[in-house]
Amino acid sequence: MTQVVHVLRRYGIAIVTVALFAFLAATTDSFLSQSNFRNVLDQQSALLIAASFATITMIAGGFDLSVASVFVVAPLFALQVENATGNALLAVLVGVAVGLGVGVANGLIVTILKVNSFIATLATSFMVFGAGFLISDRSVLRASTDAYPSIARTRFWGLTTATWIAFGVVAVAWVLLSRTRFGRHVYATGGNAEAARLAGVPVARVKTIAFGLAGAAAGLAGVVSSSRTLSALPSDDFSFVFGVIAAVVVGGTSIAGGEGAVWRTVAGAFFIALMVNGFNLHQVDPIWQRVIQGGVILGAVAIDSWTQRRPQ
Amino acid sequence: MSGDEALVSVRNVSKRFGATRALSDVSVAFHPGRVHGLVGENGAGKSTLGRILLGIHAPDQGQLVLDGSPTKLSGPDEAASYGLVGVAQELSLLPAMRAVDNIVLGSEECIGPFVSDRGNRKRVESLVAQHGLQVPLDENVGSLSVADQQKVEILRALGRRSRLVVFDEPTARLASHEADELRRTVRELANRGVAVVYVSHFLNEVLSVSDTVTVMRDGCVVRTVPAADETYESLVEGMTGRSIGDAYPPKPPQPGDDAPVVLRAKGLSRAGEFSDISFSIKKGEILGLAGLVGAGRSEVAHAVYGATRASAGTVEVSGSRLLGTVADGLSNGISLIPESRRDQGLVVGLSVRDNTTLPHLQRFIGRLGIRVKQEEAAAGQAIQEARVRAESLSVPVGTLSGGNQQKVLFARAMLGQPQLFIADEPTRGVDVGSKRAIYDVIGQLARSGCAVLLVSSELEDVVEMSHRVLVMRFGRIVAEFTGEELTEANILNAAFDTEHLGNRPPTPDSEQV
Repeated sequence: MTQVVHVLRRYGIAIVTVALFAFLAATTDSFLSQSNFRNVLDQQSALLIAASFATITMIAGGFDLSVASVFVVAPLFALQVENATGNALLAVLVGVAVGLGVGVANGLIVTILKVNSFIATLATSFMVFGAGFLISDRSVLRASTDAYPSIARTRFWGLTTATWIAFGVVAVAWVLLSRTRFGRHVYATGGNAEAARLAGVPVARVKTIAFGLAGAAAGLAGVVSSSRTLSALPSDDFSFVFGVIAAVVVGGTSIAGGEGAVWRTVAGAFFIALMVNGFNLHQVDPIWQRVIQGGVILGAVAIDSWTQRRPQ
Repeated sequence: MSGDEALVSVRNVSKRFGATRALSDVSVAFHPGRVHGLVGENGAGKSTLGRILLGIHAPDQGQLVLDGSPTKLSGPDEAASYGLVGVAQELSLLPAMRAVDNIVLGSEECIGPFVSDRGNRKRVESLVAQHGLQVPLDENVGSLSVADQQKVEILRALGRRSRLVVFDEPTARLASHEADELRRTVRELANRGVAVVYVSHFLNEVLSVSDTVTVMRDGCVVRTVPAADETYESLVEGMTGRSIGDAYPPKPPQPGDDAPVVLRAKGLSRAGEFSDISFSIKKGEILGLAGLVGAGRSEVAHAVYGATRASAGTVEVSGSRLLGTVADGLSNGISLIPESRRDQGLVVGLSVRDNTTLPHLQRFIGRLGIRVKQEEAAAGQAIQEARVRAESLSVPVGTLSGGNQQKVLFARAMLGQPQLFIADEPTRGVDVGSKRAIYDVIGQLARSGCAVLLVSSELEDVVEMSHRVLVMRFGRIVAEFTGEELTEANILNAAFDTEHLGNRPPTPDSEQV
């Protein structure tokens, strides 16, 4: 009995996601069709790329709101480079570098100036959004070569390269967090920064790297997304980061830091994606979709916090 | 007091937490006007019993009887409404609020919807006067010393017309003269007819303050008897189930004059903390560092380790000068067991393995990341050497008892095969059985050639374990004792400076003294 409870606690989100999968497979005809499933994967690619590294930042005790701004602005830089040089690879590198730069700046502000990460990344978000309007001259940028769209839209074994890139990034984040010294340091930093420091963990460096990587991943996510849609548009739309945070938190990574895993975020992202997909297949009114989606996120997190509460 | 009518009693109470049986079939009665001591090793169930009285935990079986009738407490709020309140081991104050606001928190005097500052202040001032507990009321609690914070916590409990007050390890973080004052307050409370439950590891303290003592072991009551019938030895015997003739292991052999010097600190200073600290430790030597809380002992330990940077002076380990960073300290073979294992030592959410190997991961790195098998083998051996009792390497360290948590830190230190081992209050909040294991480990380290710096507020520890003792007062080293001179009385005199009492030397550290 206690074994069962233990497994439910630990793998609850994975079990619920699988259950939802089974439910949709049983109740709709089109869910299991290859094209529907490929579509879901393709649509989730950008979110998975950004969320897997946002997970690491959150476990390290940081909260990164600037993911949305980087996601919007990095592809604008990338497309400007692509338009000017025609070199898609260089464009990708520039997009990722923009994200990395913003992320490292966030990290330094948080660790050196000791500004709370929520506020610090909110502030940098505005600056980055502003930079997006400047670099794009407030207009939509379109890919000028065939190479740029092919970054995300080429197919291997039926799946888009966007999906493959997402798989790759998830794998890297997963290994980094679970197998390396850096990963251990991330958990220790988020769990108890002072104890970690006294144990020789370079706490400030760990946090800065976590923010830097999250920024780079958000940049890559933006580039992949723009490659999928062939264009990028300057905006000051924060909605992407809310999707990211929802996936991380629904997966069961602690917003207080020190606990969590990349697989959890993957499960959380798919849970939300399957739910939306199920709504569409069942033709639920989009207005109600939002209400239900909010309720389900709240419910998932509340159940998680209820089961995690262990008497000492 | 006649005291025959119990205010609160528990009858046949049992409580489980998951697989752990915290209490089984426990019956105890608490009477008004008496101080009731609860003693037992960590994990014996005394804190759990206290929490049941306060409505924090509900018993699985059995009854709580209040004023003669069985009562179910829905939570601490309801317990407080009956006058059952607690003074916690971990302080639960709001650091950014003034002391006066903390004291009235939850029971503020109001005029309509508005808090009446004047009404609150009047009430608090009368409380302060009534109990003789002076605290700076307008300071933010975060800037007060631990002792003053504790007074705030006690005043908060007293302000609620308490009928029963549970003190859980109230003196664990106090200097000895502050502890004396606290005991007076406790007696005073009992004289006013309050039932006091006093949970403490300090057995002599329990004996001196209590009327009745309940000895607990493994979640059961061993006996409840008048305190006058018990001695230190009989309590230890009751708690452990065996008599511990030797609380301390024999000291390791004193290193000779020709033994190489491992640590040499010269002229260490840091503004507001300590000044002109010079000492050395030889291979195999245990050096005790004694002094009152706030004398600067931990600060010196941190500076030697590299956790803080001294503003002047040098630290050399085996002849090489350190840079003053933790990384450099570690790579030169220094290990530190910090003062507060939960705040500074352990990452309680992580597993035993992760906590043990945290500073040493570099050596397990292979091409595919951390070589987990090798890591587990090393961690397993280290926790065995440090005598940690844990179900497995993968349980979160926070689920272990206090003594075992502390031993995990020893395992971590030993895994580093240190040349210099610094232990800051290694036996604080640790039960009698685990203490002995910790002394044994320290002795072993010294025997194997490690230099040991032992910082402790428990004089007996320092005297029984060290070859040589330095005494600090107000940030300076004021005395050194070895051999025959190494006695508790000598150390106390030096620490208190009985000849110049109240005469403060130039380094002000008045906050914490």
